[in-house]
Amino acid sequence: MPTLETKSISKRFDSIKAVDNVSLSFEAGKITGLIGPNGSGKSTLINLLTGFVPYDAGMLVLGETTRLSRVRPYDIATYDITRTFQDVRLFEQMSVLDNVLVVLTERNVWSALFEKHKTYHLEKAKEVLERVGLWEKRNQLAVNLSYGQRKLLEIARAVAMDANIYFFDEPFAGLFPEMRKVVTSVLKELRNKGNTVILVEHNMDIIRELSDYCVVMDSGSLLAQGKPEVVLSRKDVIEAYLGE
Amino acid sequence: MDIIPQLVVNSIIAGAIYSMVALGFNLIYGTTKFFNLAHGTVAAIGGYTVFYLSKSLDFPVLPSVIVGVLFAGCIGYLVDKSVFRALRKKKASGMVFLVASLGVMTALQALVAILFSSQFQTLSVGSAKVYQVFGGVITQVQAIILLCVLLIMAGLTLLLRFTRFGKAVRATSDEEEVAKIVGINTNKIIGRVFFLGSAIAGLSGILVGFDTGIEPAMGLSLLLKGVIASIIGGIGNVYGGVLGAFLLGFIENFGIWKISGEWKDAIAFGVLLIFLLFRPQGLIKK
Repeated sequence: MPTLETKSISKRFDSIKAVDNVSLSFEAGKITGLIGPNGSGKSTLINLLTGFVPYDAGMLVLGETTRLSRVRPYDIATYDITRTFQDVRLFEQMSVLDNVLVVLTERNVWSALFEKHKTYHLEKAKEVLERVGLWEKRNQLAVNLSYGQRKLLEIARAVAMDANIYFFDEPFAGLFPEMRKVVTSVLKELRNKGNTVILVEHNMDIIRELSDYCVVMDSGSLLAQGKPEVVLSRKDVIEAYLGE
Repeated sequence: MDIIPQLVVNSIIAGAIYSMVALGFNLIYGTTKFFNLAHGTVAAIGGYTVFYLSKSLDFPVLPSVIVGVLFAGCIGYLVDKSVFRALRKKKASGMVFLVASLGVMTALQALVAILFSSQFQTLSVGSAKVYQVFGGVITQVQAIILLCVLLIMAGLTLLLRFTRFGKAVRATSDEEEVAKIVGINTNKIIGRVFFLGSAIAGLSGILVGFDTGIEPAMGLSLLLKGVIASIIGGIGNVYGGVLGAFLLGFIENFGIWKISGEWKDAIAFGVLLIFLLFRPQGLIKK
């Protein structure tokens, strides 16, 4: 059953159609690989679906009942959606632990001011940081982490949110093999828990290994979709990539 | 040489007053990344609220001060909600924010002048108690100013470091957009920061009112010294602002040791220019 659908989503930047009339559905318990050559509109599509950029036309459908003609960034957490960024974006001046704890923060004034983090918040933070191998670095400022560690922390922060729908924008880029293994297992774990995982990736081996379904974009439009082994052997898909 | 202890005391008092303005200013700047020129006028509003309550309505001093602080906080909150929030929504540039805050400053200042006239007023009641400290003289109000700065600094440190609200403030300050997607209502957080920063400004206006006096335009001079202190210490850094404020207090007061007091502002702005040219990030980088 689809948990997230786009209905004719479109976005123009001046005269350029960045995303053109894209209708897609993403299913729960699956990793959907979102691929395409540079500038094909993958990241713009994620930005549209997570409220970072408003779409000009179309609709976002969540589950069976929620239909959204507009998404704002601060709404997406309430819709159980989270994301990572192609260029890692962390709370640089906060410790590794606080980068995770901040997403577990309760929002009413009283508890925000006077209640300490409960044991389960700390346990949750420990669990996700251990999962990505950053627990030992918990007291370091995020700004002092290496590039790979920063990527892992961003993924840990997303995982800590316990969302239903996860967008990962090139989570493997620039990672060492050991770190890649960690990210691979985190993504598989999220899928096995029944979450909807959308993975933007350039490495076709990773797409073949991880994704259950594959969507190819080219010049802002949908070029192909289906099982990865079928889609990736299509002539037009190969041409779109080789034509880069 | 008898004058040196008094110069030290004066420097510390000036540093404490600038610190209070810089604390609130830096708290707001650190979270919103724009120069809120209306900050000083909010301080004046705090002072005039106490003036109105204690002189016109004969309220006792302490409740008047509490109301004055809360009222200044509310004004800051409302200005953010009615003006700056709309500009954030439109993703306005820093220049637009600056000009808008200049507009708010001018409008509020004019309103205060219409209500209370432009005349210099004083909040003090009776003759001030005076203490001798290491050969220098300090008044009771000045001692309270010092105490308040220490308490506010400690309070802000605890709030920002150890509470969940503080984490949300730091997250908003670091990456507002990302803070939104992890579920932080950044508008609410910024609104509360405005309340808090403006309440601190209000308290500084009130204490300056008790120490020297109030006038509608007092906000600008307070703001300028607070801003210089913030830039010297490290803009957006709450503790840097305090360090900068005390440094500025000492430079100003010792600078006029042998020359006329009118040189004070020239010295302060000279120091600002030196920092802008040679160490624009300030003493403590955020």
